[in-house]
Amino acid sequence: MIGMLKSMATTMKHALDGEKFTVQYPEETPDISPRFRGVHKFSQERCIWCRQCEKVCPNDTIQIVTDDKRNGEQYNLHIGQCIYCRLCEEVCPVDAILLTQNFEFTGDTKDELAYNKEQLKNVPWYKDIDPLAAREPDREAWVGEGEGEVDYQ
Amino acid sequence: MSLHEPKPLDVGETPDGTVDHDELEALLGETVIGREEHVNAPAFVVRPDEVQNALFALRDEAGFDYLSCVTAQQYEDRYESIYHLKKYDDPTQEVGIVVPTPIDEPISQTGEPVYRTADWHEREAYDLIGINYDGHPDLRRILLPETWQGHPLANDYNPEKPQVVPFRKHANPLQPDTRGEGAKSDTMFLNFGPHHPATHGVLHVKAVLDGEQIAHVEPDIGYLHRCEEQMCQQGTYRHQIMPYPDRWDYVSAGILNEWAYARAAEDLADIEVPEYAQVIRTMSAELCRIASHMLALGTFALDVFGDFTAVFQYAFRDREVVQDILEELTGQRLMFNYLRLGGVAWDIPEPRAEFFEQVRDFLDGLPEKTKEYHNLITSNEIFQVRCVNTGELPPKVAKQYGATGPVARGSGIDLDLRRDDPYGYYEELDWDVITEDGCDNYSRVLVRMQEVEESAKIIEQCVELLEDWPEDEREIQSNVPRTLKPDADTEVYRGVEAAKGELGIYIRSDGTDKPARFKIRSPCFCNLHTLREMTEGEYIPDLIASLGSLDIVLGEVDR
Amino acid sequence: MLQGAPLPERLVELLPFGSGPLGTAIAALVGAAIVGTLMMTMTAVAGPWAKRKVTAAFTDRYAVNRLGPFGLFIIVADAVRLLSKELIVPEGVDRPAWDLAPVVLAFSALLGFAVIPMGSGIHLADPEVGLVYVFAVASIASIGLVMAGYASNNKYSMLGGLRAVAQNLAYEIPLVLIAASVVLFAGSLQMSEIVAAQAEPLVDLGVVTIPTWYAFVNPFAFVLFIIANLMEIGRNPFDIPEAPTEIVAGYQTEYSSVYFVLIYLGEFLHIFLGGAIIATIFLGGPAGPGPESLGLLWFLVKIWAVYLFTQWARSALPRLRIDQLIEVGWKGMLILAFANLVLTAVIVGVIA
Repeated sequence: MIGMLKSMATTMKHALDGEKFTVQYPEETPDISPRFRGVHKFSQERCIWCRQCEKVCPNDTIQIVTDDKRNGEQYNLHIGQCIYCRLCEEVCPVDAILLTQNFEFTGDTKDELAYNKEQLKNVPWYKDIDPLAAREPDREAWVGEGEGEVDYQ
Repeated sequence: MSLHEPKPLDVGETPDGTVDHDELEALLGETVIGREEHVNAPAFVVRPDEVQNALFALRDEAGFDYLSCVTAQQYEDRYESIYHLKKYDDPTQEVGIVVPTPIDEPISQTGEPVYRTADWHEREAYDLIGINYDGHPDLRRILLPETWQGHPLANDYNPEKPQVVPFRKHANPLQPDTRGEGAKSDTMFLNFGPHHPATHGVLHVKAVLDGEQIAHVEPDIGYLHRCEEQMCQQGTYRHQIMPYPDRWDYVSAGILNEWAYARAAEDLADIEVPEYAQVIRTMSAELCRIASHMLALGTFALDVFGDFTAVFQYAFRDREVVQDILEELTGQRLMFNYLRLGGVAWDIPEPRAEFFEQVRDFLDGLPEKTKEYHNLITSNEIFQVRCVNTGELPPKVAKQYGATGPVARGSGIDLDLRRDDPYGYYEELDWDVITEDGCDNYSRVLVRMQEVEESAKIIEQCVELLEDWPEDEREIQSNVPRTLKPDADTEVYRGVEAAKGELGIYIRSDGTDKPARFKIRSPCFCNLHTLREMTEGEYIPDLIASLGSLDIVLGEVDR
Repeated sequence: MLQGAPLPERLVELLPFGSGPLGTAIAALVGAAIVGTLMMTMTAVAGPWAKRKVTAAFTDRYAVNRLGPFGLFIIVADAVRLLSKELIVPEGVDRPAWDLAPVVLAFSALLGFAVIPMGSGIHLADPEVGLVYVFAVASIASIGLVMAGYASNNKYSMLGGLRAVAQNLAYEIPLVLIAASVVLFAGSLQMSEIVAAQAEPLVDLGVVTIPTWYAFVNPFAFVLFIIANLMEIGRNPFDIPEAPTEIVAGYQTEYSSVYFVLIYLGEFLHIFLGGAIIATIFLGGPAGPGPESLGLLWFLVKIWAVYLFTQWARSALPRLRIDQLIEVGWKGMLILAFANLVLTAVIVGVIA
């Protein structure tokens, strides 16, 4: 009986203190870590069409089409299929593809979630945070050469 | 005379706690036709019709009471089943039993009479590879539908072949009403799931009820089978596999799962991990364990309390704090993809002091919250009458079923790979393994709640270490080649202590940059197998409570 | 009488239909409509809105707050949503029984309010056997539960229905026995008499006078009755016939749309009826400080307090197992109820 009363006292304490742990989402936006991985942003100016991102992508989310002189024509990314692992950003030597903090995207059909390079370019920053600065420290570990053979390009 | 009489050595055990494999080979005698070296332990090749003899000898005389996993695979010229054996007392003592069977007649003797857990493992091997186990009590498909054509992991499998299921055969798979002795039986057949509020996902439990009591239950799994093993076989070691372990046990235990893969692959390719990275790994893994146990506690309370009530929400609130920390560290709340072979992806976020403060705040608040949980849950008399002495799993039975993790520790089995088969930085830290002797639902809850406290201890020590780490020695990754191609035909089986128990990974390399066979030993899969032992003869609410106390994640059961 | 004449009799005088049979019938109808509407309004507020708000408060969350002030318009939105859903009739249901069950559930509770003195002159009828009547009609709900469980052609419903009967048998006897101890004090089964008997002062402290509410006179019976009442209305920790995590939703698994609304309504009406009984026989009915015309307000405060108590218990208490409930019912509650009855009888005998 005492245990039951203790349980009830505990919940009553919570009911009376008026604290909330949920947020009223559209009005109160959550704080998001600069490392958060959301929708991609693509920069055609930076991209050198090396296709490393396409190659490293674990589930073929990125599709790159180049002409016969290896000039880039299309860069398609299916944000509905993407698993947001950030490997494309990690391998990119020129920061042409970045995962923004933007987690708000919708589409009526799956097709609408297949973004082409224009759409990827226009993905807005979340709260104007450019995540690149926050992510810089780890880049060394990746861009630094390993001992193994380099099997791309 | 000391109180602790030293245990007499098993056959093949040396006084310093290693395995003398020559002695074991002598014990197995005629049954052995060869020997293989795996990275983790040597393995004996045993004739397919002598499997039980070999396993009985190893279990009864050499003390290998723990069948960790059964891996099946197909080579060009043969099928192979590998029984990975360990000891509950000392899981570093390992041995493998390799059973080759010819391609044209893949029949191998079953190991089920020796280890009950082999039942499901062999069904899975039959289902996915196509090996027949002679003498198996119930050799049916386990993950795929019963009408499936072909065995998907076999070499000759044709994925193009249409899977035709005649409507007549599966007009209504849930139809049959009575099970048991004839039409006179007054039992009732009831399907729990696949869409049921308390099955924690898409689990289907076929239950035969005698009034309110359970006469027989059989979990029917496979609704969430996503070919995770095959997906890993198609990814490169270096990059493409690591995102997927997060998705096995997807309820915030991601880094623990990643570590399982990292440990196996690092052993396979002989990669060193810098000490600093090990500390970060240890800390983040324990954060994941707290998050996972909080969820287990919340959903168990949900099952017993019966509504989305306070305990569930409080547990989620606290889990949210952990997830915020993990988001700061890894950039994601559930699908972390944080570990890399040879280290971790990111150092502690700058400013470091702020991050450590965030972690400390959480740890400081934890004792008060634990007290609150004890007030709310464990000291509640109704909760006690519901959970004490229900869902009993005696240690002997638990060992037979290969139970691990909090389920085993709630049955008084003192097994924790973090201590018994050390990896990461656990050996250097001061913490305890929690066991409870109650063997019931209540013990399992207590074990989880106390493990949260132990994890907090570990995290606190890691934070202290990380704070004082000299700045120029903060190496987060060792130098790992961009393309990993381990030597052909290297095999490794390695487990880590994930939130639910031993998560083991078997990898066989074939000289390319992708694994030839990738097998996941899921703790939930084995723990779920014990459900029948726990619930038969008890009431429907006990079935639900026992299921909740097993803390299964269907994503990991079905893989 | 304390509350004056029952409501319909006074309505006869107000309405222009005379005091013939027609006039009486119309007055009775209007009176019933007033009480019914009042209780339905309570239910509408409690079901879609208050329950969410209260649960959210216990679990540190926000709740409905988008539509209207404090999110109150969610009641309208929910009503439209629920009523506009498709009414799915599963194959093989036992038609008349399946259709009747929700109606029985809702109306058995509504009928009970006919004899409850709510204060401010709202009291539909005051038969001499009022207390027996209210227990009798409230128990009709159990038939509704069995009908729903049996007719649904669903095993979960069936289990829920059977559990409901088992639970019904286990709690009903203690419940009536405890109420009987109150009757011993009051010396009457008439609701108005019971209320009137509680008006006398128990202790006069000068500033405040504590009345002889039976909750103060016999707190033991009060606590027992509250527990038995939780069982009667099937709330946590005794919501075994529904048991969402075990048998999906018990007897109401197969109901949708309007029928679901009726069942849901019936549940909340039963909570309030339970509250009304507690208020009447233990808390002095509509009695309270202030003028007598505030009686209805005090009555509502009391039944809402009981409602909030059920929600409080729901937030903190795990559900018992059915066999444990039966054990508590037969081995615990029944014996305590008898003990209480004998004790009361002795006390009343000694005093009188």
